[in-house]
Amino acid sequence: MREIIRLVVVLALICAVSGGALTVARHTLAPRIEQQSDFYVRGPALERLFEKPAAELLGNKIILPVGDQTYPVFYLADGDEIIGLAIEAPGPGGYAGDIVVMIGIDLREKRMIGLEIIQHSETPGVGSKVEKSSFRKQWMGLPVDQSVELTAQGGQIDAISGATYSSKAVVSGSNQIIELMIRHGDEIMALIETKEK
Amino acid sequence: MDLFYLAIGAIFVNNILLAQYLGNCPFCGVSKKLGTSIGMGVAVIFVATLASVFTWLVYHYILKPYDMQFIQTLAFILIIASLVQFVEIFLKKQSKGLYNALGIFLPLITTNCAVMGIALLNIKHEFNFLEMVIFSVASATGFALAIVLFAGLRERLMISPVPRAMQGTAVALVTAGVMSLAFFGFYGMVQ
Amino acid sequence: MKFKEALLHGLWKDLTPFRLVLGLCPALAVTSSAENGMGMGLAATFVLVFSNMFISMLRKVIPDKVRIGSFIVVIATLVVLVEMVMKAYFFPLSQQLGIFIPLIVVNCIILGRAEAFASRNPVLLSMVDGLSIGIGFTISLTVLGSIREVLGAGSWFGMQVFGESFEPFEFMVKAPGAFICLGIMLGLMNAYSRKRGETFIQT
Repeated sequence: MREIIRLVVVLALICAVSGGALTVARHTLAPRIEQQSDFYVRGPALERLFEKPAAELLGNKIILPVGDQTYPVFYLADGDEIIGLAIEAPGPGGYAGDIVVMIGIDLREKRMIGLEIIQHSETPGVGSKVEKSSFRKQWMGLPVDQSVELTAQGGQIDAISGATYSSKAVVSGSNQIIELMIRHGDEIMALIETKEK
Repeated sequence: MDLFYLAIGAIFVNNILLAQYLGNCPFCGVSKKLGTSIGMGVAVIFVATLASVFTWLVYHYILKPYDMQFIQTLAFILIIASLVQFVEIFLKKQSKGLYNALGIFLPLITTNCAVMGIALLNIKHEFNFLEMVIFSVASATGFALAIVLFAGLRERLMISPVPRAMQGTAVALVTAGVMSLAFFGFYGMVQ
Repeated sequence: MKFKEALLHGLWKDLTPFRLVLGLCPALAVTSSAENGMGMGLAATFVLVFSNMFISMLRKVIPDKVRIGSFIVVIATLVVLVEMVMKAYFFPLSQQLGIFIPLIVVNCIILGRAEAFASRNPVLLSMVDGLSIGIGFTISLTVLGSIREVLGAGSWFGMQVFGESFEPFEFMVKAPGAFICLGIMLGLMNAYSRKRGETFIQT
């Protein structure tokens, strides 16, 4: 009996210390991890979309909550006016999971500036071709109030041959973003205004 | 996501061992005899699938809702270790024959990177339950396939005139490399 | 084991993953570049040293029945800590190493040394043993990574080594290259060690 008690106590103690250490570490490091993730993952994409240094843009971030999903939105200000948005959303249906895309939007022209791939796990050399600018530039100049589709479904986006699933995922991601603009555009602007105060 | 293509992809194109580098320790250590390799392969398929199911459930119903994903590694390995223990005890009581056949492999599977790797990949690829089961079974089958093929090759190698320095693990690794190259031929089969 | 032996044995006599065939998975997976190899080696060394330390400290306290389970909890905690620290301070590297960081937990080296050494030896000696094996592992991985990177991508730690006209052996940075490179290196080590009159690996 004593042996079993000792067993349980020792294990419980080890687990407790372990749990404690991990929770402390998590609290201390989580904000920095988020920041690093922004800097390395979203920074370059934002730079390419808005042609401004990432350091300037990364601070202009709000989170749009819709149901139990959250969408990061970055914005570009010119003086007092918000002239650009970059919305990020996951596009389901990729060959190996979601493809996270970000679309830059010109608010004055109400058109898309471009599309960036933030994260994907597609097969290198096959699905990863969605990162190519020849594929992504098809989004440049498209209006933000109409959904996009692959040419095979009657739309305007040519899929990458041999990477249909990946192309479809990028299209769904962009349609999610268009949906967000149409349905929650005002909410986004309101959140930005609150942030800017 | 076509489930059939998912399975084919996991077995051949992205073979867990030859393309994803997971499960190499037992690969080099165990694959000397065909019989033991088949045993190991079957054991891995069994444990990997069970482990994947449990880890997936824990992730989606406990870790994610409570925002504890960072503890994933610890939780998963504990699940796998416990699972292996239970399976061992269960087999010892229910099927002595199978228990003896698998012998030392069962505890070794705990540190098999393939099992933990498959569990982690299920989360990374954001599969739903059915996709997860198919992927796990298929990946583990890919492992079993590779290890059995390899054992066959190794038995041949043992009676071949290999330079002394290269004998054993060294030439086995080079052979594995060529096998891996061969599996590259499956690239482009899916998608 | 004496202090000096503990300090040096991981550097040749029990060099992983060559002479002590443990830790093969990361050795093959992350050595597509020298930097990744070194990063992984250092992360694993950190975990190894501290897991040896804690397990040695607790060796008289942990009951035999829950030995392996306790080792796993200690090792896994350290690995999760390393994961978090890497994401916070070495983000690009952590992205490159991917799932192989959490896979350090099943790296047979760490559990192996815990079982074979740390659970039976005093704290300082165990830490030194961990350091020795870990450094050996790091060196192996860095060398392997360097060879694969130089031949497969023409660079070393990201710096271009060859000129424009060099056609890299691309397969070197992919799976086949890893296996073949490791195999040949092991063969060369065997030949060298035979020359010195030692017994070599004949698995």
